[in-house]
Amino acid sequence: MSAGIVTHGLTKVFPPPSRLFRKRPPAPAPAVDGLSLAIPPGAVTGLLGLNGAGKTTTIKMLATLLRPTTGTATVDGLDVVRDAREVRRRINLIAGGERMVYARMTGRENLWYFGQLYDVPRAVLKRRIDELLDLVGLREAAGTLVERYSRGMRQRLSIARGLINAPAYLLLDEPTLGLDAPIARDLRGVVADLAESGVGVLLTSHYLAEVEQLCRHVHVIDRGSLVAAGSPAQLTAGTRLPYSVELTLTAPAPDATKAVEELAARAGAEVRHDTDPEGRPRVTLRHPDDLAGELTTTVVRAGGAIARVEVAPPTLEDAILAMAAR
Amino acid sequence: MPTALPTMRRNWLVTLRAYPWTYFIGTVATGVLTVGLAYLAFHAIGGGQVSAGFLADGGTGDYLGYVTVGAAALMFATRMVLWVAKAQITEQREGTLESQLLAPARRLPYLVGVGLQAFTTTVAEVAVMLAFAIAIGVRLPAPDPLALLCAIAAVGVAVFGLSVPLSAIMITVGEAHITQNTLFVGMALLCGFTFPPAMLPDPLRWLGEALPLTSGLRALRDAALHHAPVGAVLPDLLICAGLGAVYLAAGLRLLGPAERIAVQRGGAA
Amino acid sequence: MSAAWRVVVAEAFKQHRRIFGTKLVVFSMLVWPVLTLATAYYTILPVTAAPGAAARWPLVADPQRLAAFLAAGALAYTFFFSLVQSAWHFSFERVSGTLEAIFLTPASRLALVIANGSGALVQNAWLFGAFAVAAATATGTLHVAHPGMYLVALAALLVPAIAWGAFLNSLLMFSRDSAFLYTLLDDPLWFVAGVRLPLFALPLWVKAIGLAFPLTTSLAILRGALLDARDASDLGGELALLAALSVVLLALTAVTLRIGERHAQKTGSLQLF
Repeated sequence: MSAGIVTHGLTKVFPPPSRLFRKRPPAPAPAVDGLSLAIPPGAVTGLLGLNGAGKTTTIKMLATLLRPTTGTATVDGLDVVRDAREVRRRINLIAGGERMVYARMTGRENLWYFGQLYDVPRAVLKRRIDELLDLVGLREAAGTLVERYSRGMRQRLSIARGLINAPAYLLLDEPTLGLDAPIARDLRGVVADLAESGVGVLLTSHYLAEVEQLCRHVHVIDRGSLVAAGSPAQLTAGTRLPYSVELTLTAPAPDATKAVEELAARAGAEVRHDTDPEGRPRVTLRHPDDLAGELTTTVVRAGGAIARVEVAPPTLEDAILAMAAR
Repeated sequence: MPTALPTMRRNWLVTLRAYPWTYFIGTVATGVLTVGLAYLAFHAIGGGQVSAGFLADGGTGDYLGYVTVGAAALMFATRMVLWVAKAQITEQREGTLESQLLAPARRLPYLVGVGLQAFTTTVAEVAVMLAFAIAIGVRLPAPDPLALLCAIAAVGVAVFGLSVPLSAIMITVGEAHITQNTLFVGMALLCGFTFPPAMLPDPLRWLGEALPLTSGLRALRDAALHHAPVGAVLPDLLICAGLGAVYLAAGLRLLGPAERIAVQRGGAA
Repeated sequence: MSAAWRVVVAEAFKQHRRIFGTKLVVFSMLVWPVLTLATAYYTILPVTAAPGAAARWPLVADPQRLAAFLAAGALAYTFFFSLVQSAWHFSFERVSGTLEAIFLTPASRLALVIANGSGALVQNAWLFGAFAVAAATATGTLHVAHPGMYLVALAALLVPAIAWGAFLNSLLMFSRDSAFLYTLLDDPLWFVAGVRLPLFALPLWVKAIGLAFPLTTSLAILRGALLDARDASDLGGELALLAALSVVLLALTAVTLRIGERHAQKTGSLQLF
């Protein structure tokens, strides 16, 4: 039995809506196309793509809410179609937004309700509800009807619901969408801790900084197919995106400027001259390698006095945008 | 009528585009089944006869004609109330109430516009039910046309008048379902749609007289079943239209405060 | 089994929270049925008091028995209609996203829809039930063969109602136009089930349609047991039919749930029709 979530050639084609007395339109393009992924336990794995890339469809297939058209997905060796019921015990899904909880029940009652549906042992359930309420910061509001909750509170409750069965695998579909910044930060902490304790997490998010911070491994999909995979650092390096080095001089220095031009020509870097808000001369080099060291050495040797140097390495966001543009 | 006619046209367009079939079937079914029930009871239980009490209180032996006119009127009233009274709360739910309130147009012409459109739609729907009644053998004697038209107009005014305070209640409490259905079942019991109100205990009878539809129905039946000329039904017509005007005036006064409360609550309903 | 029982408990509690103490339950389960009952009584009175009517329908000789007959109809109808209402409400869970949250869990879908129906029934119908019992006791219109028949009547009302509720839940869960079904099952239901008329007054084809609805037979047993002092052996045929109907409804529910969920997994929309 293989641990983790494993998919082989996972494909989903949504049938066109059938209308009475009307010819069926031709089958649309697959939403997910031959996707093979591995989501190991004890780590956060990222799933990235542009809108409509098939992320949510993939997650719903893993959550048993959708059936793959072809291909397989297994959770600890259990098939998501054949062994759906057993898979449901081991997984849970948290989607962004404040849906999936009942407005007419209190926060605690919502968690109790779903705990019953998951058949969580009674003694465990009571303790777990308290722990989860603490975790999402709803202990004080536990006895309040959800209809009086703010949007953020509902979403936090929705997160606690997703943890009520202590899932071995957690599928997170844009979990921080619309959350206040401090709460989103807390949630990232929770996700990291869960992974540390052995939970396998699959995360999709628009906030690529979030993915960069949390994920050991990232899959990038476009139009339903895998286009790249690796650690955030590998993905960024793989795209050969430029570092941006910005150097500000204390005063104009023609020799230094000339030396920088020569350096740029030699290295094949993109160079730009301008002045900073205080009117001091500023030079920016863009190149796939970090040229900060060479640049400062060159300027100092040519007699320039440096006010400040700033280096911006390429981010995962830049990498994803570059991949999408191809 | 610079507001009434555009409103009527807008509602016609909306109706044609997304006709609420469910409501239509629901209302027609209620009317058809009421007549059907009376028909079966009249033949299978009454053996084609009615009680002496009904002859005295209803002033006719034509039980089926009596129930048919009542069922048609109930359908008419129900549909008109659904259109007119719910116009504003629907705007509130769709978030267009505030833009309505921002426009300088006055309430009455707006509601008249809604009412005119509702009237035309409703008449067509009532015709479907009457066709059913005629198909199963109910015969309405040739009525006095002028008196009948006057009675329909008076009932129209009455229902319109009732709808306006109801609209104010709906947008105040932010709820339509309970309010409208309570009015419908109350009306059905008190106003004499399917039986003479004289059969009711006295307190309920007086309560019924406070609703304009009770006198409106008397006029409607006299015109439809007894060839009564306008002169004969005039007192009931005046009571009906007068009471309707009172409800209308009260409703218009209530609408302003109701709208303020509704806006304060914010489109939460 | 204990897992299914826990689903039942949870769902019943959810229904309690949703329904208990709301204004709608007071109106739709007491005020409206009572007013409608009064209207039905007065509407039919002119023909039941007609000369010779008692020869065709002996019960009408006593207006109180006629009222009891109609009240029994209103009671049973209110029970069954409360389930239409709750199934209609259940269909909104699709919109609110909670249906998806439920489908994520391993909970038995059949247990869930049965629990949803029975939970709603208890929350909804106790008010009118209590009213009907009080009215029947006060007017002395009950004629019961032996005390056990109270239990038979109660079971004949509850068991098929719960099966009916489960079936409607499974249907409306996956239906796009739930408002249409809601309308269809309101007025036509009382008409075909003999709620306001004795079955002999209905034409054969209406009776045939009525037999497909458990309300019809349920009501016949309720009236027979509580108003006409018939015992279990008198009502044997009706009881057997009702049991068969309940089993069929539950089987249909299980099938609908399977097809519905599979369809939803295939198309991604929780809509079947």
